[in-house]
Amino acid sequence: MSSTNKRFVVAYILLVGLPLAGLAGVLKSGRHLSAPISIDGTWKVEANASASSDACLKAASSLLASNLVISQSGKTLSLNFNSGAKTPFSGALEGRDINASLGAASECANDQAVTLAASVDPKSDPKSLSGTLSVDNCPSCSPVAFHAVRQPKPAQSGGGH
Amino acid sequence: MPNLFILTLQLAVVLAACRVVGWLFQRIGQPKVVGEMFAGIALGPSLLGWIAPHASAYLFPPSSLGFLNALSQVGVVVFMFLVGLGINPGELKKEGHAAVLTSHVSITAPFVLAAFLSLYLYPRLSDDRVHFTSFALFMGAAMSITAFPVLARILDERNMLRSRLGTVAIACAAVDDVTGWCILAYIVVLIRSAHSAHSIWLTIGGILVFGLAMIHGVRRLLRGFESVYRKKGAISENLMALMLLLVLASSLFTEYLGIHLLFGAFLMGAIMPKEAKFVRYVLDRFETITVTLLLPLFFAFTGLRTNIAAVKGPEMWMYCGLIILVATLGKLGGSTLASWLSGMPLREAAGLGTLMNTRGLMELVILNIGLDIGVISPALFSMMVMMALFTTFMTTPVLSLICPREMLERGKIEAERLAPAVSLREGEGAAA
Repeated sequence: MSSTNKRFVVAYILLVGLPLAGLAGVLKSGRHLSAPISIDGTWKVEANASASSDACLKAASSLLASNLVISQSGKTLSLNFNSGAKTPFSGALEGRDINASLGAASECANDQAVTLAASVDPKSDPKSLSGTLSVDNCPSCSPVAFHAVRQPKPAQSGGGH
Repeated sequence: MPNLFILTLQLAVVLAACRVVGWLFQRIGQPKVVGEMFAGIALGPSLLGWIAPHASAYLFPPSSLGFLNALSQVGVVVFMFLVGLGINPGELKKEGHAAVLTSHVSITAPFVLAAFLSLYLYPRLSDDRVHFTSFALFMGAAMSITAFPVLARILDERNMLRSRLGTVAIACAAVDDVTGWCILAYIVVLIRSAHSAHSIWLTIGGILVFGLAMIHGVRRLLRGFESVYRKKGAISENLMALMLLLVLASSLFTEYLGIHLLFGAFLMGAIMPKEAKFVRYVLDRFETITVTLLLPLFFAFTGLRTNIAAVKGPEMWMYCGLIILVATLGKLGGSTLASWLSGMPLREAAGLGTLMNTRGLMELVILNIGLDIGVISPALFSMMVMMALFTTFMTTPVLSLICPREMLERGKIEAERLAPAVSLREGEGAAA
């Protein structure tokens, strides 16, 4: 083997072989990592009717008449109701608990924020969650309870043998 | 049924936006395709949906996006065939050990760094439906890709295609793309097989048989196209239709096998004859509509899925910065180091690293597949799109800084070494 070839082999081992060994190590150690539970997708919501006369809570609870669509990026969530509401709830997932708030709804006063708090039951299949929708700074508003079940994802195109 | 008025309006708006922004980017020394990518993002929720939500909702109602996507995917299938047609990994052999080392390091360095970054990002940006291995391998493949066609365009615009730097860069990018797509195929199989009743080994076996049949069987038959072209100087419409049918059949087969339509199209292009004039001829026939109309639709569709607002707060922006840093360090740094150690002067080596860091449209194609199969989340998709735009945008100015034109003149090599890949330079479509 010529000296040029030897140099090439050494450089190849150092610059390609060693990093690949490192990659194997990373893949092995990464298997022990855990990511937040998956909650993205469409959830079918069932809710109790609100008896409150508060316009803000009425508007908020009307959202629960439609499906909830959750877009998840790790712990960061964006929750949207299929009701045509323009502004999504932005929230976070901590363990199994979801906390989200809706910025400004037109029916609500400036100091009123709509808050969604729910907990996921990871054992149920399909997954389900239970929680409440409430309005801050509204003593007469009692939280509206709801329950939601995750809908199966539409089949991906392809891969279909 | 599609709403034809809305669909036609979408086509018109996307076409106009891509042309105008592409022209503006050319004025500032960028390849047109970079402007078209930015135009696509601007038509999505990141800009149009933010400043004019009503106009955006009217122009791109959710019910219309399926048709827009279908049209854009047809464009990407043909485009991937053209990319496969333009590349010639055999060119790497001509460039010797230095190019082999540079090419392989330009894949492994970003790949390994991306896997390390995945240790940090996985618990923060993924969920338990995605396995760490799939996540890390996808991040690695996405960071190690090089946009071969954009690279060819940049080299052509700078009159560098025949320079030593240009030929090595083209050869390395071709190998990078083939390797990247093979890894991605494996990841797609891995993820799809998790939701399939069939064994992963059955799928892998099917793919191997298909690949071998294409390389050792169909490839020989394809030489007939080149023979006809050599004899007649042209290929009849019927034969062009047959070629397109073969592309579609190959695409359908890979989709059926559980990978993706695009792999079949790419493979069909890769095994086509590589005689320069023949390649140029086929590119000319297919490029105009694909690149002028259908690819801008893909940019727009990607833009509609990209929401920069999903990258919220300093923490998310730090993740985004880390992704850009790691992608650049791995690709630019790795390629520079390997080519410098192989004996290339440092400035030229840095120029090569800069070129290899161009990700462009190829990155967007891969990211869309990643989002479709659920291996990356919407926020991570947006971050990776920003990384693709950043690394592609930075190529031209950084290259001008590192490798002034007069320096490149010294590295010119003979015109006879014009590779098939080089033929991508002539058409405007090569910009894609």
